[in-house]
Amino acid sequence: MQKNHRLNQISAGTEALFHVIVGLFSVCCIIPFLFVIVISFSAESSIREIGYSFLPNAWSTATYSYAVQRLPQIWRSYFNSIFITVVGTFLSTLMCALYSYALFRPDFKFRGFFTFFSFFTMIFGGGLVPTYVICTQVLGLTENYAALIVPLLVSPFNIIIMRTFFKSSVPLELIEAATIDGSGEYATFFRVVLPIAKPGLATIALLNALAYWNDWYLSLLYIKQNKVLQPLQALLMELQNNVEYLNRMSAALGSSAIQEAMRAPTQTLRMVLVVLIVVPIACAYPFFQRYIVAGLTIGSVKG
Amino acid sequence: MKKILALLLALVMVAALAACGGQTAAPATSADKPASAPAAEAPAAEAPAAEAPAADEPVTLKIWFHGSNVAPDASKKVLDELNVYLQDKIGAKLDVIWGTWGDFDQAVVTALAGGDNVDMYFTCNWSADEYNRYARDGYWVKLDDLLPQYGADLLSTIPEGIWECAKTNGYDGIGIYAVPALKDTATQNCWDVNGTLLAELGYDVDAVCAAGLDYYSDEFEEMLQKAKDYKAAQGENDFYPLVMEPMVLERLVNVTSIVTGDLPGASVLSFYYDKDHPSKDIGSEIVNKFATPEFEKYAARTYELAQKGFISPSTMNVGTSNDYLSACQQSASYLFGTQSYAYGCEIDFSNARGIDVRMVPADAPYMDSTSGQGAMVAISAVSKNPEKALEFLNLLNTDPYVMTTLNYGLEGFTFEKNDDGTITFIQENRATYSPWRNGMGNIRILPPTADEGVEYWKDFSAYYDSAEALPYGSFIFDNSVVETEGAAIANVFAEYAFGLCSGALNPAEKLPEFLDKLAAAGMDDFVAEANNQMNAYLGK
Repeated sequence: MQKNHRLNQISAGTEALFHVIVGLFSVCCIIPFLFVIVISFSAESSIREIGYSFLPNAWSTATYSYAVQRLPQIWRSYFNSIFITVVGTFLSTLMCALYSYALFRPDFKFRGFFTFFSFFTMIFGGGLVPTYVICTQVLGLTENYAALIVPLLVSPFNIIIMRTFFKSSVPLELIEAATIDGSGEYATFFRVVLPIAKPGLATIALLNALAYWNDWYLSLLYIKQNKVLQPLQALLMELQNNVEYLNRMSAALGSSAIQEAMRAPTQTLRMVLVVLIVVPIACAYPFFQRYIVAGLTIGSVKG
Repeated sequence: MKKILALLLALVMVAALAACGGQTAAPATSADKPASAPAAEAPAAEAPAAEAPAADEPVTLKIWFHGSNVAPDASKKVLDELNVYLQDKIGAKLDVIWGTWGDFDQAVVTALAGGDNVDMYFTCNWSADEYNRYARDGYWVKLDDLLPQYGADLLSTIPEGIWECAKTNGYDGIGIYAVPALKDTATQNCWDVNGTLLAELGYDVDAVCAAGLDYYSDEFEEMLQKAKDYKAAQGENDFYPLVMEPMVLERLVNVTSIVTGDLPGASVLSFYYDKDHPSKDIGSEIVNKFATPEFEKYAARTYELAQKGFISPSTMNVGTSNDYLSACQQSASYLFGTQSYAYGCEIDFSNARGIDVRMVPADAPYMDSTSGQGAMVAISAVSKNPEKALEFLNLLNTDPYVMTTLNYGLEGFTFEKNDDGTITFIQENRATYSPWRNGMGNIRILPPTADEGVEYWKDFSAYYDSAEALPYGSFIFDNSVVETEGAAIANVFAEYAFGLCSGALNPAEKLPEFLDKLAAAGMDDFVAEANNQMNAYLGK
C-alpha cells in the first residue's frame, strides 16, 4: 500500500506548479463572476463616468431594491424557474431512468430496437419549424408550463449515459436474486436498482436541472402572450436582447431607437438579474457534487 | 432485422414530422389561393353577413406587434375595454401578441414558417419578417382588391405617396401587401449639435446652427479643435468631439440616399439627390458608393480628422461603434454627431441628456420606400378572416379612440385628459403599458401629450407632408438576381467600408485596393442591374 503511494507521488515542485496552474484556472473562472457582482453593486453614476471597474467610485444597492420592489415579474419568474426546474428535473430523471433501465435489461426483447430508436434522434432531428408545429398545433404546448417542461423531457444522450451506468454498476445477479426472493419488477427497480444507481441519477438530475434552469429558448418560442410564465433566464435574455437589438437597429429606427433605449433597464439591473439567476443554481452544486464524484469513479474501478 | 425495423419507425416519425412541416409551410403557398381568390369574388356574397354580425359569435383577430413593453395584466385590462367597442363596431375581438425588441425577429419567423394562427403581423423593411421578401414568398395577403370595400377610409386617410411606397412585387403580382403606418415617413440627415458645449466655447449657437455646418470648412475643424482643447483643459483627455454612425455621416455629407433593396448590412449603392429639393431630377443614376470623387474627398477628410484626434478609436471599431455613440450622446460627451431626424426629437434629446441639443439639417427631408416601409401591418395568408382583419386595420388607422386606446391605454389608467385636449401619462401605469408608438399605424390621430403641446400633430403632419419623393420614387431594388455578386461584394465591403467611412483607413492607400476588389467581386454588374431595374420601373 505504501509502495503504491510512493509510486504515485510527484515531487513537491511539480505539485506546487500544478497547484498554481489549477489555481490560476479557477481564478479565471471566478473573476468574471466577481466582476458581475461588483458591477451589480456599483452606482449607476459610477458606470457612466468610469465604465465597468472593480473599484467603482460609489457603491449602491439601489438597483437591487428597484428590482425587488418595482419589478414584480422578477419574483414570479423566480418561482417559475424553480417550479419548472423541480418538476422538470424530477420527471425527466424518472423518464430517463425508466427508459434506460429497460435498455439495460438483457432479457428485454426489443432492446436493440429501442436503443436505436432513441439514438437515432441524436443524429437526425426534425428541425425547428416541424418541432414547433408539433408542439403548438398537435400537443398544444403554448402559453402553459407544459411548454417549458415537455420538450426537454427526454434526452437520448442522458439515456445512453444512464444505461452505461446501470451496466457498470448494477450486477444482473442482484436482479435475479431479487426476483428469486419474490420481488416484482417495480419493487426491484425502485427498491434494489435505483438505490445502487444514486450517483448516476444525481449526475443526470444535475444535467437536467441545469438544462431547465438555463433554458430561455422554449419561453421565447412558446410563451408569447402569457408572459407571467416566463422563467428568470427568459426575462434576462429579453432585457438583454432588447438593448442589443436597439443598438443594432439604431440606423433603421432612427431617433425612436434612442427614445426606446432610454426606457431600457440600466447596465446594473442586468447584472443584478445575472446574480439572481446564478446564486440558486450555484447552491445546488454542493448537494450533487458528492454523488457526481462517486458517479465518475465508480465505473472505473470495476473489474 | 430489429435495426432495420427501428430505422423504419424512426423514418416514419421523421416523415410524419416533415409532412406536418410541409403542410404548415404550405399555407403560405397553397392557402393564398383561398385567401386571395375569394377576396376577388366573395365580397359580394359575404357583404350581407358582414353587415349583420350581431347574430354570429364575434371573430377573434390576433395581431402581433413589435417593440412593446406591455405587462400581461395591463394588456388584459386595456383589451377588455377596447373589445367591447370593437365588437360593437366591427363584430370582432382583438387579441394581441406584444412582441418585444429582443424576441420579435426569432419568434415571428418561426411562427410564420409554422403557420401559426395569427391574423396580422407587424412587418417592415428592416425586421426579420422583411416585408418585400415575405410578400414575394406569399406570406401576406394582397390587399389591392380588398381595400376599396373593407378599407375605404383607410385608403383615403393615408396619402397616395405612402401607398406608393408600400407597393411591391409580391406573390400575386405588384401591389400592396401591408398597411403602411402614417408615422415619421421621411428621412432627413441632421447634425446633432451639443449647443451647450458650443456656447461654452464662445460661439453664437443660433448663428452657427442657422448657417449650417460644412464638413470641409476650416471653421468646422476649428470648432472641433476648440472643443478638444476645452475638454483637455478640464482634464478630459479622451474626449472626442465628433461622434457618428460612419455610414450615416457619409450619406449626410455627400447627400446620398439609401437605395432600398441594397445589400442588407452592406450598403454599397448611392443615389445623389438635390440638397434643397430632393425631388428635382439632377440626372442621377445609382452608382457604386465608393467610386465617386465625392466619396474620395469624404474619406480623405474623415481620415484627416481622425488623425488629428477628433474621432474616437471606439467609433472606428465596428464592434463598439454603436454602443460608443449612444453612450456619448446620452452623457452629452460630444460636440457634433449624426442623427437621422424625427420630428421633435431635439426636445426629447435635450430633456434626456440635460443639454441644449440642436438639430442642424444637412438636406431637406425626402421620402422613399425605406422610410415609407418603416412600419407596416400585414395580414397573414393563413388568416381565416382577412376581410375582418382589414376592417380592423381600417378602424385602427381612422378611429382616434381605437388608436389611442391601443397605443396609449385607457383614460384614468395610463393617462389623464387635460382641458386643452392634451393628455398626461400616469407614469406608474404607463410603464406597464408602453407599446412602440410608431409601430402601430396612423399615429397622427393620437392626442398630443402635454409635453408635445396642442399643435404637435399639426406641425408633425406639416413637416412630413412637406417631404418630397426622390426622383426614383418608391423604387425597390430586387438584388436576388445578382445574389452571387452580392455575397462577394458584401465580403469585400466588410473588410474596408467601415474603416474608410470612419476615418480608420487611409483612402490614399486603401481606396484603390478596395475598388479593385469590388470590381473583381462583380460590382459593375451589380450597379448595372440596379440601374436597369430602376429604369424599367420608371418606364425609361
